[in-house]
Amino acid sequence: MDDAPILKVAGLRAKVADEDLEILKGVDLAIKPGEIHAIMGPNGSGKSTLAKVIAGHPAYEPTGGSVYFRGEDLLDMEPDERARAGVFMAFQYPVEIPGVSIANFLRTALQTRLEDGEELDLFDFQELLMERMEQLEMDPSFAQRPVNDGFSGGEKKRNEILQMAVLKPALAVMDETDSGLDIDALKIVANGVNTLRRESPDKSVLLITHYQRILNHIIPDVVHVIVNGRIVESGGPEVALELEARGYEEYRKAHAA
Amino acid sequence: MSQVAAVRKPSRPVIGATAVAEAGATDPPWLRARRDEAWATYQATPMPSTRSEEWRYTDLSRKLQLDELVVAHGDRGPGAAAILPDALRRTMEQDRDSAARIVDIDGKVVSVELDESLARQGVVLASLRDAAREDDGDIRRLLATRAVPASDGKFPALNAALWNDGVYLRIPRGVRVERPVRLSRWVSRPGSATFTRIFIVAEEASQLSFVDEILSPDFETTTLVNTAVELFSYRGAQIQYVSLQRLGRGGFYLANQRTLAERDSTLDTLNVALGGSVGRVDLNASLLGPGAHSDMLGLYFGDADQHFDFNTSQDHVSPNAHSDLLYKGALDGSARGIFRGIIRVHEGAQGTDAYQTNRNLILSDDAIATSLPNLEIEADDVRCSHGATVGQLDAEALFYLMSRGLTRGKAERLVVLGFLGEVLARLPMGGVVEKVTNAIVAKLRGV
Repeated sequence: MDDAPILKVAGLRAKVADEDLEILKGVDLAIKPGEIHAIMGPNGSGKSTLAKVIAGHPAYEPTGGSVYFRGEDLLDMEPDERARAGVFMAFQYPVEIPGVSIANFLRTALQTRLEDGEELDLFDFQELLMERMEQLEMDPSFAQRPVNDGFSGGEKKRNEILQMAVLKPALAVMDETDSGLDIDALKIVANGVNTLRRESPDKSVLLITHYQRILNHIIPDVVHVIVNGRIVESGGPEVALELEARGYEEYRKAHAA
Repeated sequence: MSQVAAVRKPSRPVIGATAVAEAGATDPPWLRARRDEAWATYQATPMPSTRSEEWRYTDLSRKLQLDELVVAHGDRGPGAAAILPDALRRTMEQDRDSAARIVDIDGKVVSVELDESLARQGVVLASLRDAAREDDGDIRRLLATRAVPASDGKFPALNAALWNDGVYLRIPRGVRVERPVRLSRWVSRPGSATFTRIFIVAEEASQLSFVDEILSPDFETTTLVNTAVELFSYRGAQIQYVSLQRLGRGGFYLANQRTLAERDSTLDTLNVALGGSVGRVDLNASLLGPGAHSDMLGLYFGDADQHFDFNTSQDHVSPNAHSDLLYKGALDGSARGIFRGIIRVHEGAQGTDAYQTNRNLILSDDAIATSLPNLEIEADDVRCSHGATVGQLDAEALFYLMSRGLTRGKAERLVVLGFLGEVLARLPMGGVVEKVTNAIVAKLRGV
């Protein structure tokens, strides 16, 4: 396996686009193909901002450092270019798109990944969609529902995993996908991620979470702790357990602004 | 609709008494008298101005010079159906299933096709001119009297005086016409004024759907299409009327539509405005008996300097009737959309359920949407609501779609289609959804 990182974040700084508020203050991170990294941190530490900057959310503005994905400068790309290159972000708060069915949305998303003039095979697509929905224990009728419109919190998160499972990104960034999920829903979500990894072991995952709980179901290779816009500790799964036992308080004190 | 028709010299009369006489030349006396009366009403009625509330946002003194128009009489002759314009033929070919079909060119019906089994069941579909000549009694009683009479205003009067042709459709008691009846209209003459009437009676417990589609090339001069639509649903009947306005630029579409829904009947309308330079629709839904129901749907998508003005009213005359209005529009370029709607619950109309919603999506800095919902309630046991929104493309939604790989253009297209598609989903009539969706997509390619 290629040992070059698929994602390389170096000295990344970012602020809120409309304000003079710096949130990321120099983040370094390297994820190799097939690795699962977890980033844990208290509220306001910048962990969700990191996910959004990687995905290209217009509300955040990178002010320094770099993000390279498979050797390409990600910060130089539009959000849709990043997605087509293989970056996927599962949203913490998935957006409602009234009148657009999940099937139509995903069909369009897959179509944009094809060459000009190439047409998506609708039969194959339908088969893939139904197979993925079954894995995620979703009713087939879901495919015809408008994206996230009227969904429960759990349904929205499951829909994010469905999209990931259909689009099969090289790097999935999961922005607090576990928050607000009960244990059954959490297991289904974790199962979706693990299935993708089982099918394609070179897929990488960046899991952003507040809680250690999900890491019992998706076993990370590396755990990072982010506090006040910087990664302050990195290690194996044991870091998450220590954090769970001790809380964020001592990190917060040690790395106050 | 890309070709621009050349301006021709007027060969027909302008709007005036001569044109009225010519329009009525072959009419029975009662109809000639009705035209003359309507003409007198027209002359006695002042041109609507922006001083009146209902015309405040559509300035006719700037947008329409009636005396420069030439009245269209559709004198293409009987062979016209054989030489249909390509654009009309193409859109007709997309209509896969039809129970009946009527083609109107420049205000004259050139062909009528009716499924034979329906004719045997007593369904009548004819040119309104021909039908009026052979009057079955109902036409004389109802034409331009109860639904869109001359007394309704300047343009209803003008239409009642000058209408050249149109559609007469009658569905006998208990007959259900499953597939749509389609009217395909074409306007070819720049600077012309076409006056058409659509007159539909659905007798007790009958059912039909009707699609009225109009197309034209682009015009360099203002070209008027005035349509009066009179729809009657008798007890327990069901009518669905769809108007697809796809005129070329330069077209001025002006429609007066009235639906009269009697006891336990359903009378739904869908107005789709995509073409023309100006579109003005006055729609009144009257609910005349308990159990009457009207869904009133509207969809408009304006770009460049298109101007769409909808003026609707829901008249709950009878108790225990239901009306539900949803008009949604997207506006790009410097397009203008106006929705003005009123729910009137008349005295004694207890148990009324009436709703009114207008939503607008603004796609550019120069587009403007004006929404004026209104309620007038004279009964105390009613459920009524009205709402209006004007919003822009949601940046968060666009980012969400783009984060899945859709280009900005595709993402915008999907959001707009989803937004407008809600209206089509409420009246999923064969062929209409695809046709309107394709027309919207074609317009969106410019976004």
